[in-house]
Amino acid sequence: MNIGWKEIKKNKSRFLILGSIVFLVSLLTMIISGLANGLSQDNAALIKDLPEGHFYMSEDAEETYNLSRIDTDVQNEIMNKHPDAVALSIQMGFLNDQDDKQQSVAFVTSTNSDLFEQVNKGEVIVDRSLKEKGIKTGDRLTNNQLRDELVIKGFVEQKKFSHAPVAYINREDYKKMYNVEQMQLVFIPGEDSAQSFTGLQSYSNKDFLSTIPSYNAEQMSLTMIVSFLIVISGMLFAIFFYMMNIQKIGLYGILKAIGIKTSRLFKMIWTQMFFITIIALTLSISLSHVFNLIAPEGMPFHLTIETTTQLSIIFLVVGFIGATLSGLQIRKIEPLRAIQQGED
Amino acid sequence: MTIFTLDEVEKTFTNGEIEENILKGISLSLKEGEITALVGTSGSGKSTLLTIAAGLQPASNGEVLFDGNNLTTMSDEQVRKVRAKEFGFVFQFAHLVPFLTVEEQLMLMLEVSGSTLSKKEQKNEVDQVLDVIGMEHRKNAYPSSLSGGEKQRVAVARAIIHKPKVLFADEPTASLDSKRSKDMMELIRYLTKKMNITTLMVTHDEEMLSYVDRILQMSDGMVLENE
Repeated sequence: MNIGWKEIKKNKSRFLILGSIVFLVSLLTMIISGLANGLSQDNAALIKDLPEGHFYMSEDAEETYNLSRIDTDVQNEIMNKHPDAVALSIQMGFLNDQDDKQQSVAFVTSTNSDLFEQVNKGEVIVDRSLKEKGIKTGDRLTNNQLRDELVIKGFVEQKKFSHAPVAYINREDYKKMYNVEQMQLVFIPGEDSAQSFTGLQSYSNKDFLSTIPSYNAEQMSLTMIVSFLIVISGMLFAIFFYMMNIQKIGLYGILKAIGIKTSRLFKMIWTQMFFITIIALTLSISLSHVFNLIAPEGMPFHLTIETTTQLSIIFLVVGFIGATLSGLQIRKIEPLRAIQQGED
Repeated sequence: MTIFTLDEVEKTFTNGEIEENILKGISLSLKEGEITALVGTSGSGKSTLLTIAAGLQPASNGEVLFDGNNLTTMSDEQVRKVRAKEFGFVFQFAHLVPFLTVEEQLMLMLEVSGSTLSKKEQKNEVDQVLDVIGMEHRKNAYPSSLSGGEKQRVAVARAIIHKPKVLFADEPTASLDSKRSKDMMELIRYLTKKMNITTLMVTHDEEMLSYVDRILQMSDGMVLENE
């Protein structure tokens, strides 16, 4: 007989209240995780979408990529040694549309590689978000630092850097705009460990993301909120079951006296915890994914099945720990004391 | 035939530096199917003796022998198994599980005792016992809707449903009025005699003594009379 389930059936409102709180906390956690992922994508999709590998920038740039200048000889040496390596530069800037309206973009140029869009001189490929601002294929855009016009060749999906849409331009145009010969970075995909090159410092993809201004601060704040919500949910279970157990000390004592194993009483609590959590999570996952679909276009919200699965597992583990901690008092209950107490 | 023996059982409690002997070397035997009452003033040690015999707390010295097995040398888990299978308990209050129906309370006890009956047979067994105690019409009721007398009758049914060898009853009529107390004692006597269950009962109600076979008078941690 599943006595845990019998108790839920008899005390529906009590468990409904706990379930509702767990649902609300988990929904809030999913929504904030979606926003954290969305902001992360908005800030660095260009880097996050790359395969695992290592970035290299000049040592004297002091972890600031736009101060980095890769020596041409060193760059050539790396490119010869690693045919899949790519040298790239990123600079924040503006494009003026046909109505002379300025659009903030991150200009990106690179050596030949499948990892970055390649365009001819005078052409530009931009992130799809600019399409929503009225820019179409074939439009001629200008830049204050470039005498020639740039023609929109096409759009790419979800390529952002530092919260700005990416604009892929040709190396010649980039050189003219910023008056530099050298590239800022070299990326070598698929390396297990970083290599040593004269005057260059290596960064894993994750380390490189940390060098993007505001990325760490933004993500840390959101991660902290999510962590607190998870801890709160664990505490909720611990407090709820603790209060329930306090009320049932007499009952547990009698059950122990008649021969029920302590482990069975723990199983009763775990059954209740899993039942409530699974229903609450199913609802919050469904609702947060519906929100993912209907979220306004401009809202940086990105919630994946992988994230919701990870969060669900964490919620179940934390709930299990909370319920188990509260149940530790059951072990201490002596049947004798319970018998000597009056009836609840 | 003797089924239960207590041999020189002592119980000492330490309160700070003061040692108090609650039980002072008690020896007694219980015969199969016999109803024995422990009577005495408050603090004479009768409830302590009952709980030691029932394996709910250990003795400080002496031995408790049940059906040839020494409870005092068994592990906690072994004692739990004996309690679940061989003993039944009725307390001053019914202490029913508030979220189980009357039928489920008894089904749970059968399950805990390790009954080998099928679900259907268990249900039949429950129906029979509920019929005997006159509670079949309330089998789907929860404890909150039962009267005090009804709750105590269900508690008795729970104590004997698995056919234990010994029934321990600690003041089973203390929470009932005079009429219901007599009904309760008649029920306990009827069931234990019918099922040949040995009963050890603590009571302070002299009216209830007419239902027992043997009375043990306790005073100051010792058995004075063995009637």
